[in-house]
Amino acid sequence: MIKLKNISKFYQPNVVAVDDISFHIKPGEFVSLVGQSGTGKTTLVKLLIGEERATRGELFVGGWNITKISQSDIPYLRRQIGVIFQDFKLLPKKTLLENVAFALQVCGKPMAKIKKIAPQVMKIVGLENKMNRYPHEVSGGEKQRTAIARSLVYQPKILLADEPTGNLDSINAQEIIDLLLKINSFGTTVVLVTHNRDIVNKLHRRVLTLHEGRLVSDQAVGKYII
Amino acid sequence: MAFLLSLGRIIKFSFQDIIRNIWLSLITVMILILTLLSVNLLLAVRAISGAAVGTVKEKVDINLYLRTTAERDSIMALKARISSLSDVKEVRYVSQDEALSVFKRDHVNDPQIIEALRELDKNPLTPSLVIKPTNTDDFDNLINELNKIDDPIIESRNFEDNKLMLNKINAITQRISDVGFAVSLTFMFITLLVIYNTVRVAIYTHRNEIAIMRLVGASNWFIRGPFLVSSVIYSLVSMLVVIFAFFLFLNLLQPYLETFFTGYSFNIIAYFGGNFWAIFGLELLAASIVNMLASLVAAGKYSHV
Ligand SMILES: Nc1ncnc2c1ncn2[C@@H]1O[C@H](COP(=O)(O)OP(=O)(O)OP(=O)(O)O)[C@@H](O)[C@H]1O
Ligand SMILES: [Mg+2]
Repeated sequence: MIKLKNISKFYQPNVVAVDDISFHIKPGEFVSLVGQSGTGKTTLVKLLIGEERATRGELFVGGWNITKISQSDIPYLRRQIGVIFQDFKLLPKKTLLENVAFALQVCGKPMAKIKKIAPQVMKIVGLENKMNRYPHEVSGGEKQRTAIARSLVYQPKILLADEPTGNLDSINAQEIIDLLLKINSFGTTVVLVTHNRDIVNKLHRRVLTLHEGRLVSDQAVGKYII
Repeated sequence: MAFLLSLGRIIKFSFQDIIRNIWLSLITVMILILTLLSVNLLLAVRAISGAAVGTVKEKVDINLYLRTTAERDSIMALKARISSLSDVKEVRYVSQDEALSVFKRDHVNDPQIIEALRELDKNPLTPSLVIKPTNTDDFDNLINELNKIDDPIIESRNFEDNKLMLNKINAITQRISDVGFAVSLTFMFITLLVIYNTVRVAIYTHRNEIAIMRLVGASNWFIRGPFLVSSVIYSLVSMLVVIFAFFLFLNLLQPYLETFFTGYSFNIIAYFGGNFWAIFGLELLAASIVNMLASLVAAGKYSHV
């Protein structure tokens, strides 16, 4: 599903963010990506969604070589990959439901479909009773669940979560992880970038550890080692 | 169908964008109005001076003043001789009496002159031959020919006045056109900068939306489309305001033109009305295209999030 072959990313000639990384993530896996600050985790996410281009190496997503992806194909790539971030990225003047609907609107989906899909994904994340509230009227966990709902509207095969629990307390964080596990159980490949030792250790899933831009460990049932 | 749906949404986003930055939108429209007004004023100046040149050309003629003692036969012989010149369109004989009545008519509002005339007991005017050249732009050749004719009945010749007048009008027109052109160009340049900046600010205000749009896979056209549509809306609104204001102005101007162009039918309103689409349609098209290009450049440069 995701395949990296000797991927390197230099921001400037002397800023090495990712250094010769190779790994393979199979469909339906749940993988945690851990490592200290500044070791290239977010850079990897950006490479996967075509926001940055690899300096060297080859990158495949769903059998699609995206090292050579054209600018006009990037929107289609992004509809196949859901992404969520630490800062939720919700629009404050739209209700939760409108935030989810926005993702469908801007890709030209007809109104009838939006009316069907948006409440459906809100139900999957358990927010069907709060979907008419505005972001400032709900908790951080609920905001993140809205962001997850939004990332699900195109039924992506891959969900990338870049420190989704970074702004949440441990209870809310656990709820988000449970939700990601639930989504994974439907068959979606999940890549979880995190700093949270407890979460990684409790997951008992595959763990990729980065250090200074290099892949230093890849354990099938991993622990947070750094 | 999907295209129309997207277009509808793009237009909706565009209106939201205009309203969210309403002051900036107003300034943009204002500067567009100034630009379009200056272009149309330039056109008006050109039309009016064109008409002015036309009236003067109509009046371009060369006068040969004849001695009062000249015999009618020799006058007719001279007339025939001049008529046969290649550059002459028409020669008309104005008798002494005719000259006097024309003079009186021209000075009917000038009692002093009429009084002075009455005190003279004889007609002070001379008979003349009025010659119309075929080519009103260039009749140097004709003047040369006329200078060669040396008939004793010719008292004096008046060759240069009208030509001077024409040259003067042409010079003034050229001057106004040049200044107008420079002003219009300046306004166009300012418009480009303003539109560019407006789109930049609009992108900045919408940076969160744009970031999310990119993230969820909205196409480039969906992201940039609203800014393109906005610039067309700005152009359209300013064009409408300009058309309204400009015709109002023309209505005020027309009475003055009528007194200026007495005896020569020139209607500036009819001129702009008759060429409505050629003038305003083209201006709208040009403004829209230029503005779309400016906003495309701005969007291309600033919407990569
Ligand atoms: N746009 C950029 N230009 C230059 N250098 C950058 C850029 N983005 C990231 N970097 C550098 O690349 C390296 C990797 O950054 P990255 O954001 O991938 O780290 P990270 O593992 O996500 O860190 P964190 O855990 O703090 O989020 C860092 O040294 C960072 O300073
Ligand atoms: Mg990061």
